[in-house]
Formats: sequence, structure tokens, C-alpha cells
Amino acid sequence: MLDLVATLIVLLLALLVVLPIWWIFRSSLMSTAKLNEYPPSFIPHEWLWANYSKALETFEYWRYFRNTFSIIIPAVTFGTVTAIFCGYAFARLRFRGKKLIFNICVGTILLPSMVTLLPLYVVWTKGLGLGDTYWPLILPYLTGGGFFNIFLIRQFLMTIPKELDEAASIDGAGRMRILWTILVPSIKPAVVVVAMMLFIQIWNDMLQQLIYINSMSKFTFAVALTNFTGSFGTNWPVALAATFMTILPGIVIYIFGQKSFVEGIVLTGMKN
Amino acid sequence: MRVTMKKGKQKNNAATRAGRKEELTAYLCLIPAFLGVTLISYLPTLAVFVLSLFDWNGITKPEFIGLANFQRIFTKDIYFWDSIKATVWYAFLAVIGAVVYSLIIAILLNMNIKGRTLFRSLFFIPYLLPAIGVFKGWEWLYEGNFGLFNFVLRMMGLPKQRFLDDPNQVIPCLVLIAIWTSGNLIVIFLAGLQNVPGVYIEAAKIDGANAWQRFWNITIPSITPIIFYNVLTALITHLQVINPALALTNGGPGKRSMFMSYVIYMYGFQKNKMGYAAAYAVIFFILVGIFTIVLFKTQKEQLFGEEE
Repeated sequence: MLDLVATLIVLLLALLVVLPIWWIFRSSLMSTAKLNEYPPSFIPHEWLWANYSKALETFEYWRYFRNTFSIIIPAVTFGTVTAIFCGYAFARLRFRGKKLIFNICVGTILLPSMVTLLPLYVVWTKGLGLGDTYWPLILPYLTGGGFFNIFLIRQFLMTIPKELDEAASIDGAGRMRILWTILVPSIKPAVVVVAMMLFIQIWNDMLQQLIYINSMSKFTFAVALTNFTGSFGTNWPVALAATFMTILPGIVIYIFGQKSFVEGIVLTGMKN
Repeated sequence: MRVTMKKGKQKNNAATRAGRKEELTAYLCLIPAFLGVTLISYLPTLAVFVLSLFDWNGITKPEFIGLANFQRIFTKDIYFWDSIKATVWYAFLAVIGAVVYSLIIAILLNMNIKGRTLFRSLFFIPYLLPAIGVFKGWEWLYEGNFGLFNFVLRMMGLPKQRFLDDPNQVIPCLVLIAIWTSGNLIVIFLAGLQNVPGVYIEAAKIDGANAWQRFWNITIPSITPIIFYNVLTALITHLQVINPALALTNGGPGKRSMFMSYVIYMYGFQKNKMGYAAAYAVIFFILVGIFTIVLFKTQKEQLFGEEE
């Protein structure tokens, strides 16, 4: 009985959670006149796809799509690969200063990104002249993607028995070969989590994209949509069409990747 | 051959040729971390401290003014005290809201529910949506005349609200968006709930404990560490809030959503007062740092367990 009540409550809440997404979509398919009608129709009578073509006239969706992913793909790759190298060093190798270096890395968590942003901006734009390029957004990910990711890889590598390494090295495999052909496949969930966390971080990073990207041809979704809706005044349906188009990749990712995402999130939030 | 009993067997390792090679491999592997730690983290932080002592517009020569920036922030800045209020209030509400919301749903989902996986997925979707899309979409929901919420109020016979344009409502409205996108917490808590060792529950059942007692005395204590950890990390994250201000409110209405990060952004990137913004960032760093240290102190052993 209690279970039935719980199911009903959950169902209601789930519908409420999905409602905003539906409402945005539904509103993007109506005309401005119909939009303001009361009572509001839950499902539009006519589906005004023209709003989407109108949005596409000034909102260069595919360009922004390409731009956004031309940052995400290199950054996520760099971050994941370097996190693996660093995590491996901490997990498997012995070297002088290990504890000290480890603690220094841990300390970086104390530093909010807003604090380091100002000098970094000055160095990237005035010092290196890389303003209005994607380099300031990608290169920082060559540093291991943040200590949390290095740490995650390290923890997972430490759970793989060293006998595996030893057996392979008896067969003549060098360290890097062992790392990439044996160890990394064994910690695949951790690698996926790291890639995922990096992806979400860049996906939602409005601030850095806003400050480093100036020309319209280089806009990402975040920058483009921030500037775009202003220029359409109160033509909400068209603005919402553009909005929904940026949300769409998120929904697609959810459909295809949510299992990995969900498993990954569990790993980040649970202390074992 | 000397046998030393020093703590830190690493030292002996470098005495052999293989050991030195291992060490070199390690240092090479760690080049990214070395670069990151110095160039992206510590040096810029040091630079911010130094920069805060100057007056600089980014173009002409910086002028050393000692602690004048700090003095001005504490006494004359028109945003400072409002920004602390806005930031702390938002973070407080968002953390409590998100954790309570996620915990309740996780507990519900943990009961014998049909389609649990499907429901969990539905609650999770908002987390994967890009921030800008979420904000612009919710801007429409909150719209002052024809937005969804005002339609619902109208249907209930209640007066329409200004939501994002209302100084008293703006922060709760932004917090609601944060709660909506906290599906990741539901996933984490649910996993924690499902990991409660079955043997304890069984033993309690045998001892005659009812569902409520089992819940309070076994389940809750089991997930308390997870809750605590996630509360702290959420707090640190939400103290750094800036996206809602960037996308929706620009600090308004009337400075009620002037988050500290947004003020730093404004001074540094819009008003070109780099030294002043740096001073702000130093103060912000201390504020966030206090909470982060608390996280560290309570979690360090379990979380960042060091080398034997």
C-alpha cells in the first residue's frame, strides 16, 4: 500500500520535472498570438515549425554546434589522457617526493576557478595573444583535468592487482604498454566518468566562453544564445526554438549515454 | 649495503638503475600535473594576491596602491555587502533545497516502485541539459504575463507574480532551477541507499524492528557520510554561482542577485578594474576557502587517503 502511494508521488513528481522541457518545446511551436492566449493549450493545435526555420536564419545553429564540440572533444580527450598518465604515476610508480607532490596537487582543490581566472585571462590574451581563439579553453585540459580526476584514476588503478602488471612485464611488455593495453581497459568505468565530468564541465561553462570568444563566427552555444535572445525582442516562440535546439543535444546524449552517466555519477558521489 | 628503516622507502628505490628509471617515468608522466599545478593553479593565485595591491585597467601601467582596494571594497563598494548576502543566501537555499529534494526522491525510489530505472532517468535529464538552454527556457516559464507559472496561478485565481523581476523572489526562483538540475544527487543517494548492507536490515527484522525503525537506525546512519560529503561539495560549488547572473539577471533586480563571482566578472571584464577585481577575488577566495578546508578536514583521511 505504501509502495503504491510512493509510486504515485514519484510519478507526479517525475511529470512535474519533465514538464518544463515539454513546455519549452510546445511554446516554440506556437505563434506569438496563440502563445499569450488564456487558457494555455497544453498541446499546440498547429505545430509552427516555421519558428525553427526563422530562428535558423539568424541563429547559426550548426556553426555553433561545430564550435562547441570543437572545444569539447579535444579538451575532454586531453584531460582524460593526462589524467590517466598522472593517476598511473601516483598509483603504480615509486619516486622521490611522491607524498609532497601528491599533497600539492590536493591543495589545488582549494582554488576556485574565479580566483585564477583574472591572471590567466591576462596571460592568455595580452601575454600570448590568444584572445578570441579556443586555445585558452582547450590547453588547460592538458594538465590532468583537475586533481579530482587524477585522484579517481589513481584510486581505481590501485584496486587492480599488481600481479597483472608483473605477469605482463615478464612477457616483455614495457610500462606504457601495460598501462594502455591492460590497466586502462580494466578501469574503464573510471575513464568514462572522468570523460563525462570533463564534458559536463565544459558543456556548462558559460563564463570562460564568454570572456575568451569575441567574434560571432566562433560563438559556442552558450555565447550565441546569451546574445541571441536579446536581438529577438519579445518574439518568444522563435527564441524558444533556438533554446530548444541547444537543449536537444543534451536530450540525445541522455537517450544514448545515460546508463554510463548514471553509473559515473554514482562513482563521484559515493565514498567506498 | 645499508638497510635503512626510514619512513619513505622511496629513497632507496632511486639507488638502483631500475629504480631511477621508474622515477624518471613517473616524473615524465606527471608533467601535465606539474604544469597544471604551477601554471593554472598556484601561480595565478599568487598573481591575484599581487594584482590586488595595484590599480590597473589592463592597458596602461599598473599603479601600486597597497591595500587601498580592500579598504574601498569594505567601506565604499556599492555591491560588496549585497553580494555576500546574495551569494550566501543562494548557496544556502540551493544546497538545502537540492539535498532535501534529492534525498526524498531517492528514498521514494528506493521503495518497491515499478519502473524505478525509468523514473530515475527522468529525474536525471535536467542535469544533462546545457546551462544556457536551461536558463533561457526557465526565463520563459517565469515570464511575467504569459509564462507557465503565471498561467497556473491565474487558473488558481491568484495574482500574477514578477518572479525574476521581483527583488524578493529572484533568488528562490534561481534556486528552483538549481534544484531542478540536481538529478545527479538523486542518483548518488539512491545508490547509497541501495548499498546499505542487507545483513543489517535482515538482522533488524529478526530482532523485530519495523520499517520506520529500520529506516532511522540503519539506513540513515549508513548514508549520513554520503549526505555530508555531498552537502559540502554542493556548498562549495554553489558559493561560486555565476551562470544565472550571466544568463538571466545581470545581478538584478536591484542587486539582489549580485553574486560575488558575478561582481568579480563585472569589475574585471566589463569595467576593466583588474586590480580591484583581484582584491574582490582574494576576499572571495577566503570565503570559499573556509568551507573547502572544512571539507578537507572532515574528509581527508577517507577521501584523499595518502600513500602508505
